[in-house]
Amino acid sequence: MKNISKLTILELAQLVADNLSKNSIEAVLVGGACVSIYSKNKYQSYDLDFVTESSLKEVENALKEIGFDDKKGRIFSNFKTEFVIDFVAPPVSIGNEPIKEFFRLGNLKLLTPSDCVKDRLSAYYHWNDAQSLEQAVMVAKAQKNKIDLHELERWSKAENNISKYQYFIEKLG
Amino acid sequence: MLEPLFGNRTTERILFFLERYGEGYPNKIANSFGIRVNAVQQQMKRLENGGIVVSRLMGKVRIYQFNPRYPFVGEIKTLIKKAITFLPESEIQKYYMLRTRPRKEGKPL
Repeated sequence: MKNISKLTILELAQLVADNLSKNSIEAVLVGGACVSIYSKNKYQSYDLDFVTESSLKEVENALKEIGFDDKKGRIFSNFKTEFVIDFVAPPVSIGNEPIKEFFRLGNLKLLTPSDCVKDRLSAYYHWNDAQSLEQAVMVAKAQKNKIDLHELERWSKAENNISKYQYFIEKLG
Repeated sequence: MLEPLFGNRTTERILFFLERYGEGYPNKIANSFGIRVNAVQQQMKRLENGGIVVSRLMGKVRIYQFNPRYPFVGEIKTLIKKAITFLPESEIQKYYMLRTRPRKEGKPL
């Protein structure tokens, strides 16, 4: 078994994804962990949020195999690491739109950089959360060649938040 | 009314309350309907795990609201809005017409 205390968030996400895949469980990494990965840990999340259609019982058995045997509700932890693994209810969506395309790193399936920015902007739009705006900017800067600004603008209009989108563009510089 | 869909009466009341007032905390919701706070907390937890509601702490109170990022939130709220119009007038007055405008501290209710 790997020494999980020394793993980065990406390495841990990949270990979890490998083990879920071994157990025929499909899952998608969403949320702050994607921000950490795409911002190259400029923002450090300690939550690995996965969305799966599989039952929590199946997930529980798979996570036990890699040492995450402390379960509280849908959250799994291990005393050797600060990272926690949360299984978020499906579907994978941002606002009103389902997400069908993902980025892959081996067995790890995660939001694309553009969807990761949308996810953060969505939190900023709905809750005026300045941290989420900052994280959206971080990812957009670190992944600028992979971000589709036209799509972000279209989506922001659909979400009735074009003025906040314009502020995001200003922050992007 | 939508109890068969939501699974139980408590959930129906919670969702109707949140649609009507925008947000709420278990004690307030339980007192409004004269039901047990534990039952409300239990259903809130279930709804939060399902992504339908979200919560935040304000002081020591956990406040719940519909999750604006839940993809079906608009449809659920539309359904509830319509269902509320089908309630007897006495029930609407009793549960869904509570004062929401400000009231200065010290003034009699």
